[in-house]
Amino acid sequence: MRGDAALSTGAVVNESGYPAAVEPASAAALVSFAGIWRHWGRGSKRWAVLRDVNLEVAAGTAISIVGGNGAGKTTLLRIGTGILAPDRGDVSIDGLSCEGSWREYHKRVGYLSAGDRGLYARLSVRAHLEYWARVSFMARADRKPAAEDALIRFELAPLASRRADRLSQGQRQRLRLALTFLHRPKVLFLDEPRNSLDADGLAVLNTAVSELLGRGGCVIWCSPVGEEQPIVFDRALIIEDGRLRSA
Amino acid sequence: MTVVFNYTGAIAATIRRDAAIFASYRFRIVGQVLAMLLTLTTFFYIAKLVRPDAAGPGGDYYAFAVVGIVIMAVVTSALSTSHVVQMELMQGNFERMLISPLGPVGGVIAVAAFPILYATLFAGLMLALAAGLFGIPLHPLGIPPALGVTLLAAVSFACIGLLFVAALLAFKSALGAAWAIAGLSLLGGAYFPVMLFPGWIRWTSEVQPLTPAVDLLRHVLVGTRTVQPVWLELAKLGGFTAVLVPVSSVLLWWAVGWSRRRGTITEY
Repeated sequence: MRGDAALSTGAVVNESGYPAAVEPASAAALVSFAGIWRHWGRGSKRWAVLRDVNLEVAAGTAISIVGGNGAGKTTLLRIGTGILAPDRGDVSIDGLSCEGSWREYHKRVGYLSAGDRGLYARLSVRAHLEYWARVSFMARADRKPAAEDALIRFELAPLASRRADRLSQGQRQRLRLALTFLHRPKVLFLDEPRNSLDADGLAVLNTAVSELLGRGGCVIWCSPVGEEQPIVFDRALIIEDGRLRSA
Repeated sequence: MTVVFNYTGAIAATIRRDAAIFASYRFRIVGQVLAMLLTLTTFFYIAKLVRPDAAGPGGDYYAFAVVGIVIMAVVTSALSTSHVVQMELMQGNFERMLISPLGPVGGVIAVAAFPILYATLFAGLMLALAAGLFGIPLHPLGIPPALGVTLLAAVSFACIGLLFVAALLAFKSALGAAWAIAGLSLLGGAYFPVMLFPGWIRWTSEVQPLTPAVDLLRHVLVGTRTVQPVWLELAKLGGFTAVLVPVSSVLLWWAVGWSRRRGTITEY
């Protein structure tokens, strides 16, 4: 655990007897998942992948969520980003709900999906950064410096003019991370971000996460069970049977 | 105002992005121009088989058909937006668009813009070639009003394209887009006058925006008489657009909400 953790973490037993809710004693959560339920399937094949998940993450906090394949990590992150709607429950970021303020909510969110998708094969690294800076509604004065900064921070400067389909897997992942951090989000949802990164890539990621935490952001980092954790987290949680509990 | 600039800027950036990707396929435009020349040549000879008055009094069937061909290029592009969105879904880019401030509806409009814009420019090039190489009697003074009609028609067709995107997001299938393109070309009179239809089916040419659009374009560009008064054709096209814009927007938002609740929005 990070030594400067300002939160205490405790598993709370809910009505159904499960240690479901992980609720730190925090009055000012940057991200809040409240009573999240999400099912997959229909009819008799319907099952709950998330059951009454409650989670609050304060500014300057990094939390790790580990879980087996199909445990619900990606579903939880996708609900956090607004890609999916929960069946029940609410998510808020900075007090904003996705439904109520799509634009402002998403200005605050950075999301790295699992895998290596989300790049345009024939677009250069620099063109990706400049394009997504525009789509992220960054101010004109900030766009070019942010793209240049991302090229340097994620060690992509020598590859700036290279097309995405001519990058190695690790380089692709660094570009995907650069796009995730580009608009200086407050809240980062990272789904298996280590994918294909070498030691240098992990160090770059670690630095970027520390910088985000330093400016009052927060990180929710999901990874499969058994994966080595390259950064020190304020809290470590496990997702199992659709519920979060302290690791 | 900043919000409007943000949206228009993001859409303009997407157009530039798609133009850059398009330009990276250097031979694509060469192939398209060759295909266009073959089409123009084919219809040039077909027109020699057609009675001179087939396109109406004083009409020229070749000019009549060329205008139909160019407007169909725009229609095809607009109604193929669901295909473009499907490609974005498959590449994982729609997910990134979805979580950007631009959002899903803005994102869909943005990715639809370049193909429609390109098809419109290509249609202009096709008309110029038809005039230069095959001598269709293009009226230069008709070009500015033709641009206005094309813009209005493009918005109308784009809205129909958005309906198919809504179907794609909600049901994972935009079945019917190809049928709609073929159906519009038939019922809208892209290649022959709708007056040739038997009476019992002629009403179908009145309930979609292609008929007034192509009729007006023929009128201003090559001097063909409109089936109905110009003001009525314009009012019809404007009316279709005025209805389709809110309907397609509402249905697209509904499809986004529905597929977010079902959890299928990024599936393909």
